[in-house]
Parts: sequence; structure tokens; C-alpha cells
Amino acid sequence: MRCNARPLGVLAAVAEGLLLLCAVPANASRSAQPSYLQQTHSLVRHMAEDAQELFVFYETNQRLNVNKICRSSKWLEGLPRGDVADPLAPGALQDLYGAMEHVERALQTILQHQRELNAPGAELLRRLTATHLKVRGLLNNLEGLLRAWGIAPLRVALPQKPAVTKVFQQKLEGCKVLWSYSRFMSKLSTALDAKGLRERQEKRRQRRGSRRGPRGDKRARRS
Amino acid sequence: MNRFVFLAVLISLRTAYSYQESLVFPVTYLSVSKDLPLQRLLVEWDVGKSAHDAELSMSFEIQVSRTEENTIVWTEFHNVTLDKSGEPLHWNWDSDLPLECMSHSVRIRSKAETSKIWSQWSLWETVLGLDASNNGGLQIFPDEKVVEEGFDITLCCIGRKGQIIKEFFLSPTAHNFSRTNSQIGLLTVKNVAHQEVPQITVYCQASCKEEEKEKCYSRTVFFVGKPPDTPNDFSCQTQDMKTVICTWSRGGDTYLYGRHSTKYTLFEEFSQNLIPCTVSCSEQCSCSWDINQQRVYNITLTVENPLRKKTAMDVFDVTHRIYPSVPFQLWEECTDTEITLYWKYRNKGFELFCQTEVLHPDGKAELHNSSGVQLQYASITLGGLQPYTEYTVRVRCGAAKHFWRWSEWSEARTIRTEEATPSGKLDIWREITPVLGGRNVTLFWKLAPSFRANGRSVSYEITWEKVEGDSKPEHISVSSVYNSTRISIDNCPYKISIVAKNNVNYSLPSVVIIPGATGTEKELSSSELKDDRVNGTDDGIFISWESRNTYDGYIIDWCNFPTSQPCDLQWKRFGPHTSSALVSSVSFVPGVRYNFHIYGSVANTASLLEKKTGYLKELPPLLDPTVEQVQLTFHAVTLSWDSYPTNESQPGFVRGYHVYVSPVQEDCNLKESKKHVLPGGSVLCKYRIENPEEKRYTVKNLMPNTKYKLVVKAYTGGGETPIVNFIYIETPFNSNVLYLLVLLVIVPLVVAALCHWKMKWVKECCCPVIPSPNKSKVLSFKQITIGSEKVLKVSDCVPDALAVDNKSEAQKLHLWSHMSSTPTEDKINVHNSSWTYPNQNGERDFASTLKPITHNWFENFAYSSHVAVQSDPYQNSEPSETSKPHLSAVLYQPQYYIDILNEDAVSAHRQSTGTKSSLRYISQTDVHCLGRRL
Repeated sequence: MRCNARPLGVLAAVAEGLLLLCAVPANASRSAQPSYLQQTHSLVRHMAEDAQELFVFYETNQRLNVNKICRSSKWLEGLPRGDVADPLAPGALQDLYGAMEHVERALQTILQHQRELNAPGAELLRRLTATHLKVRGLLNNLEGLLRAWGIAPLRVALPQKPAVTKVFQQKLEGCKVLWSYSRFMSKLSTALDAKGLRERQEKRRQRRGSRRGPRGDKRARRS
Repeated sequence: MNRFVFLAVLISLRTAYSYQESLVFPVTYLSVSKDLPLQRLLVEWDVGKSAHDAELSMSFEIQVSRTEENTIVWTEFHNVTLDKSGEPLHWNWDSDLPLECMSHSVRIRSKAETSKIWSQWSLWETVLGLDASNNGGLQIFPDEKVVEEGFDITLCCIGRKGQIIKEFFLSPTAHNFSRTNSQIGLLTVKNVAHQEVPQITVYCQASCKEEEKEKCYSRTVFFVGKPPDTPNDFSCQTQDMKTVICTWSRGGDTYLYGRHSTKYTLFEEFSQNLIPCTVSCSEQCSCSWDINQQRVYNITLTVENPLRKKTAMDVFDVTHRIYPSVPFQLWEECTDTEITLYWKYRNKGFELFCQTEVLHPDGKAELHNSSGVQLQYASITLGGLQPYTEYTVRVRCGAAKHFWRWSEWSEARTIRTEEATPSGKLDIWREITPVLGGRNVTLFWKLAPSFRANGRSVSYEITWEKVEGDSKPEHISVSSVYNSTRISIDNCPYKISIVAKNNVNYSLPSVVIIPGATGTEKELSSSELKDDRVNGTDDGIFISWESRNTYDGYIIDWCNFPTSQPCDLQWKRFGPHTSSALVSSVSFVPGVRYNFHIYGSVANTASLLEKKTGYLKELPPLLDPTVEQVQLTFHAVTLSWDSYPTNESQPGFVRGYHVYVSPVQEDCNLKESKKHVLPGGSVLCKYRIENPEEKRYTVKNLMPNTKYKLVVKAYTGGGETPIVNFIYIETPFNSNVLYLLVLLVIVPLVVAALCHWKMKWVKECCCPVIPSPNKSKVLSFKQITIGSEKVLKVSDCVPDALAVDNKSEAQKLHLWSHMSSTPTEDKINVHNSSWTYPNQNGERDFASTLKPITHNWFENFAYSSHVAVQSDPYQNSEPSETSKPHLSAVLYQPQYYIDILNEDAVSAHRQSTGTKSSLRYISQTDVHCLGRRL
């Protein structure tokens, strides 16, 4: 029998992700956008942590933690490299949607490969499935946001890549994908955090401004 | 002539034989190829046609060498008989090292069986390994091989020419033997074990140029797994004669998944067709397919993975493999003692044999068989059941003809039989309490083992009437929830009957006769019967009584909770020939005293015969006796614990007491006591009192003015509790001892002090320094008295000795006498510094007794000499001149002079010093006395 070290942890993570997804209606109306964005932001933050954990687990589990072979500078095809100030802004949302579609496809491939190598119900398969679900959930959310902005989500034509047949190469490819994905999600989460911070600061400034406003007027009148 | 012919034939034969022995058939053709998937060398060779034509039996010695290692890694002898077909010969060799890793060479030599000579070796025929080529980058072999757990694997990493293998290792790490020979790295893992990851990754790194970095690394994996288990329980069956399902156990985990996972195929041997079924495995694997007209099958199941192939077979006739479907839609008809059960089944076309299981309320299961007919439904009638009782029934069926296997059990159905008249009698008992003008009778009843209520709601009807006379019976009805009731009757004898009633009818009555008041009084007075003690056992409390012929049975009653009210009265009936019983109850607990009454019963009338009391198990008393009174004398202490109870409140029969005594500071050792050692090792004196009513004890032989600790412990049949707390007493001081002390110590001390104070007087009186001549014999001569003095005439005495000192000596003496007479204090100082008298209490200055007064010296040689001898131990260890062995010098040492305050002595001294040539009187009397005083 194979011992699944953290089934409960994984289940909890899946449950958490699904809870967040449930809290976000797919067809959110324009009026519900602020909370909808906030929910997506929370989901991204959670997925960033999950992606990091999944990568570390995969790297160790697949015995690829040798010479940092997974941590290549090569970026997963389809993931935007540059920094985006507001990834959930209407302009950047389509790119993000496309990136996540790439990730979803890559995760599907990893899952397919790993099913060949692991016992059904293995911890790695559980984790990969959970992450795959979350990515699909985020895609759903992003689609909802796009529609809320009045943009029809553009389906990305994913390039047909030659199938990797060698087991080691499959494992290594998977590992590199997860590395890229974890870095991408981390950047995305950071960008959203920064945006949130900016917004809060702006609001505070506005509040202060509105409070100072009348006084300033008075001063102006006095002068 | 003949001899010559014979010799000629012999020679020719010999020549022919020698010719055969020397025949050799060298290998004429040798070809070696490799089967890489099987990692096998395929060797093909041939010898000359003549050997084939002669159909020779030949031996071939085949050698395999690895070029890289320059060693022959395999040698084998291959025997073969040639035939005329002239076909080349073949031999295969499986390599443990991947053939890609190194070049392999083969050579062969031959020998005809009749020949003694081996042929020459053929030339080495080589199949090249990748080490010989210079193409491609770094490569690892074997690539993605599946290795059986427990087996060995050898891997190699081959670089291009000039490349050096720097690293060649596994992850997860396994114990391996690796060696690298610049271009080739070899790594052997012995006894490969499955690890937590399904694959083991192999990493290889070689030196290379920076621009060819990608060619520096090579990685692959190999899989460690197990061959599949043989499906021993493979069998096929049908439920409906339309579909056959084969099942087998899945077996253990092979650790191989995906494309390496176990594959199953079913093949029918008679039709030579693969069975068109899809295998599904959970705990068991199964595969089903529709059958046609074929009745007999020979199915071969093949279970296969990359490591091994296992097979199992099942040959069967479908009609003998009927596994019926589960009976369904069960329904029933029932009476108070019978259930008729009906059910349906799907199987049609064959006769079924069914089995019905009836589960009784007591857990007992009964099986009833029934042969089903080919109807829409089947039924069975189950008889001999109890009224108003729940039974759980279920059914299963098997083929009546060629029984193969039971179907699964149907869904269980719980059925209750109809109600009926209560059967049997109630077991009743009573408790009589006399009250003013009559008696209260508490009636108890319980369901006897033979009694069955046989109905839903049972109530109890109680009827009582006077035994004599035509009184009208009285009647009450009690609900089923009660098992006792109280009635009041007068002092007449009464007959009480109790019946149980359900919705159908009444049970038979149970009767008890309450004797008249006189009888009751008699019974009550028997409460004065002595309580006999009974013993508890592990299983209950054993009670015995005297059997009497007059009774038709005995009853024992007792309270399960003697200290509670109501006390949960219990009773048990016994036959007329019983005289003992083990009474047990789940309510019995150790440390509780239970009282048992034994009654004799005749014609429903019970009489108290004996009373017993006992414990299931006696426990030590919960509380120690409280010592209420302590009477102390010098040598004894009296303890009393009158208030200590010895009744049923105790968790055991109090058998007596133990009194433990010990001095506080030491172990006890008193007379008439036993030793008791505490866990700490201290010893107590133990006294035993065997009468529980004796609650006073005097401990004797104590020491006065001593602190003692003591404790009184009660003990029961369960022993006593550990000693924890003591009481402390202190015996008073004995004043008689004080008086004795005063008498023996203080009085002598006072006398001694007085003596010391009046030392001079005492000395004078008892032991004068200079004995009074008047008290000695010295003056016991004829005397002339002049005034108060006695005068001795020289002529009247005979001196002991006469000595004449010369003049110079006398002068010296005189001078010394003058010197010493004036500075007296100086002399004292001398004494102080040199002559001390040591004793235990400190130093006492010998000279301190001397007083600074003018001394007159009385010179007495005998005394001086004696003093000198006596004083010797106290003398300064440094020898002085005065201590030289010169008699006269010794005698004249000033410290040996003793001052005498006697006036007589002074005058004598004056007389002696007044003459130039002095005559000395040497007294030989009283020396001893004086010496001793000093």
C-alpha cells in the first residue's frame, strides 16, 4: 500500500480553493465587480502559495532536486514575462486568461504523464489534480471578469508540441512547467498585492483630501 | 601367413581409429549479431559439410569476451549432433550488461565426439558497442528498463571519445558499485528494492566544452517492480445462463503503473478466440461476456506485466456454474407460531434450491431448506415459533441441479408472530411487615424462565382472600411496568394469587399463602435467629442450609442494595433436595454485607429457617479506630477506641485489632510483642487483639521519658489498610530515678567539695604531711618531759643509721638554705614555668598550691628521694644538671623540698643548721603515707 502523507492537507487546500470559487459567481454583474476582483485576488494569492508548494513537492518526489535542473530561466511558453501593474485590468485580463489556459493545458499534460508513473491515488496525483482544479477555477473567474468588462474571452490556439516520450524528459518538463507556473503566480500575486496597496493608499489620500478640503477652502478664503 | 593377415588388418584398423581420433572440423563460418530489446547475442556458425554428412556428434566451446574489459566473461560447452541438412548452428547468450555499453566478441572451437583434438579457435567475431562509435552525446543504457525487485541491474553511461565521465549516480540513492573508465561509466545495483518513488532516476555527467553543455548530461529512469501474482482463485460462473462472468483476485501491488501495469487477457481454448470482455479491477478483477450456444468453455486467463506472465485456467460447463441472483421481494403471512415466507427470483429456466435462515431473539440461527418450483415466487412455512416474538429471516438459493454456489443472502426481513395466551406462571414472593391491627404485605413478581407474556401489553391481576371463611376476594390490577405492589391485610391467614394478562387471555395463577398473625409472630420472632457468616467466592456467595423433609422447596431472599430503600429484594427458589446454593448477582460488590434469609416452602406457605450474612469479598476497614483515651504511666500506655463500629457499616467482618508501637527515634523491641517491619524498614512492635468487642489495650514495658508513636488498626477478612498515620505519646519522667541520681552523684560531690574546702583540716586529720610524733611510735619510749615536750635520750634509742656530712657539704647546704629562703616568689615562678600537672580537665599548676609565705625547710632524704621518683613522669624532658645521677645532687634539688608549716619542724631545722657537722636523722617511718599524699 502506498502511504499518502498529506491527503488531509491536500483536501483542505482543495476545499479552500473551491470555497473561494463558490464564493465567486461566474456571471457576476458589473455591480459586483469590486468584491469579484477581491475574490479573484484572494484566489490568486492562495494559488501562488499552492503553486510553490506543488513545485517543491514535485521536485523532491520526482528526485529532480539535482543541480537545480528544474529551475531553468526558460519561461513556460505562453506565460507573460513582463511585469504588469494591474493584471486584472481589462487590458491585461485577456493576457492573463491566455496564460492560465497555457498553464491548464500544461498541467493536464503533467497529470497525464504522472498517471503513467504513479499508483492511482498517489499524493502527487492528488496535488496535481487539486492545482489543476484551481487553475480551471481561476480561468472561470477570469472569464467572468472579462464578461463583466464586456469582453468576450479569446480562446488561445495552443500550439501542438511534439510529444515527449522519454520518461525522464516528461518528468523534467513537468518540473520546469511547475517552476515557471509558481514564479508566474508569485509575480501575479505580488502585482495584485501592490495594486491593492496602491488603491488603499489612494483611498486614504482621497479621504484625507475630502477632510482637508473645506479647511483648505477656508484658508483660501482667508488669504 | 594368417598371422600376417591378422597383423595387417589390425594395423589398418588402428590407423583408421587414429585417423578418427585426429579428425578436426574447424569452424568455417561465424556470425554474431545482437537483439537489443532482449539484450541477447545471437551467434551463428558452421563447420565443414563433411561433418554434417557424417552426422557427427560435436562439442563446441564458445567464449564471449568484452573488448573493453579484455576478459572472457563467459565460456560454455555446447554439444550438438549435426544433421545432413547442413543448417548452421545457433547459440544465444543473454548479457547482464547492456550490449550497447561495450563491444562483445565471440569465438568458437570444435571437437568431434570421437576425436580427442580440439580445433583451432575461430577468429573473434565482434559486435560493436556504442563505445566504439563517436556519434551523439552522452547516453545511458539500459534506458527505462523494468527491473524485478530483488534482482541486479548494471547500467552504463557512454560518452564520446575523449569525454570523461565525471558523475554517474542514482536518485534515490541505492547501494551500487560504480566504476568509470574515462569514456564508459558502469554502475551495478545489487538486489534492487522498490522505493517510495516508482522510478529510480539515473544521472550521468561528462566533461565537455561549454558550448556543448547540453551534451554533458544524460538522465534516464528505470522502474523497479514485481511480477504479477498468479490468479489462483480464477473462476467463471453465470447467473442467468446468458452472461458468464469470470472473477479473480487482483494480487499484490506490482509497483508498475501506466503502460507497465498488469494486463489481463482471457482466451477461450476451444474456439481459439480471445474473450471479448473488458476487465475491471477493484479489490477483485472481473470480466463478463455474453455467451451463445457454447456450453463448455476452457478459459485461460493471462496476467502479464513487463516482468512476467502468469496464467490460470478454468474449464467448465455453464450449466454447472449457476450462481443464482439474489431472491427479492420477500413478504410473509404469520400466526402466533408460524410464518409463511414468500419471495421472488429472477432466474428462470432452471430449478432452484433455497435456504431460509431464521434468527431467533436469543441470537440462535436456524436454517430451513426448501426446493423451489419454477413459479413466479417461492415460499416456505416456518413452524414452532413463539407467539409475539420477532424473528429475522433471509433467503438464498442455489441451483437444485449441479449445485455450484449459493446466491447472496436476500435482504433480511424482521417479522413478529401474533399474540397468544401468556404461558407459564409468574414467580412471586412477599415481604410481611406487621403494622397496627394487621400486616402490610409487599408482593413481588418476576417472569419465571418458563413464563412467556406472548403479548404486547401485559398487566398483573392480584387477588387476595382469607383462607378460612367465605370472605369476598379483593382485587387490584397493576400495570406491566411494575413488578411489586403492597397490600394490607389483617391478622388472618390469606391466600394471594397473581396472574399476568395480555390482550388475548390470563396466565395460570401463582399463589402465596400468608399465615395468620400467630404464624407471623412466630416468623418475626425467628428474626432472633443468629446470623451465620457465609463466604464469598469469585462467582458469588456460597450459602448452605440444613435440609428438612417437611418442605417441598426452599427460597432464599436478599437485598441487592442492603443500604438503600427499597433495597431491591431478590429471591431464588430451590428444590426440596437442595441444601446449598451459590447466590450470585451482578449487583454484588466487594465490601458490602449482604443478608440472606432461607425459607422453607410447603403448599405455597413459606417459613423462615435460617439467616446468613456475608460479603462477596471482605475489604480492609475504611477507617482506623479513633483512639479516644490515652492513659500514660512511666512504663505503660492504655489506649481505648470504644466508639469504633463493628457492624454492617464495615466492608468486612471486623476480626480484631492490631496495636503498633515504636519509639519515635528507633526501632521497637518491647517484650510480649511481635515485630512488624514497615516498607521503609523501620520495625514496629505489634500486639494482636482477637476480640472485635475488646476495644481497650495497655501497652506495657515502655521506657519512661520516651516519645512513642503508635496506631491501632482494625482488621477484617480482607486484612487491614496500610499504616499511614500515627499518634504520638511521651511517657512521663520517673522522679525516683532523680532521687537515686541525687543520692549517687550529688551527695558524693558535696562531700568531695567539702573535703576539698577543708583539705588542710582533712589532711591534718586523716593524713598529715608530717605525722604527729605523738601519734606515732616514735615517742613510745621512756621519756623525760620538759614542759610539753618529750625528750629522747640518745642512749635510749638505737638509730637505724648514722651519717656524718663533711663540713663543706654542710656549708653548701647552709648557703643554699639562705638563698632559697629569701626570694620565695622566684621559686614559685620556676615551678609555674616547668612543673605543670596535666589532667583531663586542663592543666593544673602544681605550684599553685604553694603560697608566697616564708618557708622553713625540713630536710628529709627519704621523702625527697621518694618525691623525686614520683615526680619523674612530670619532669621536663630536657635533662637538667640537677637530674644527673649523683645522689647528693638529687637530694638537694630545691624543688623537692616541701615546706612545712609545722613549728616543730622549724625548730628542728634550726637545730640542724646550727651545727657544722650535722648528724642527720633518717626516718624510715611514714614515708609511704607522705609519698602517697603527694
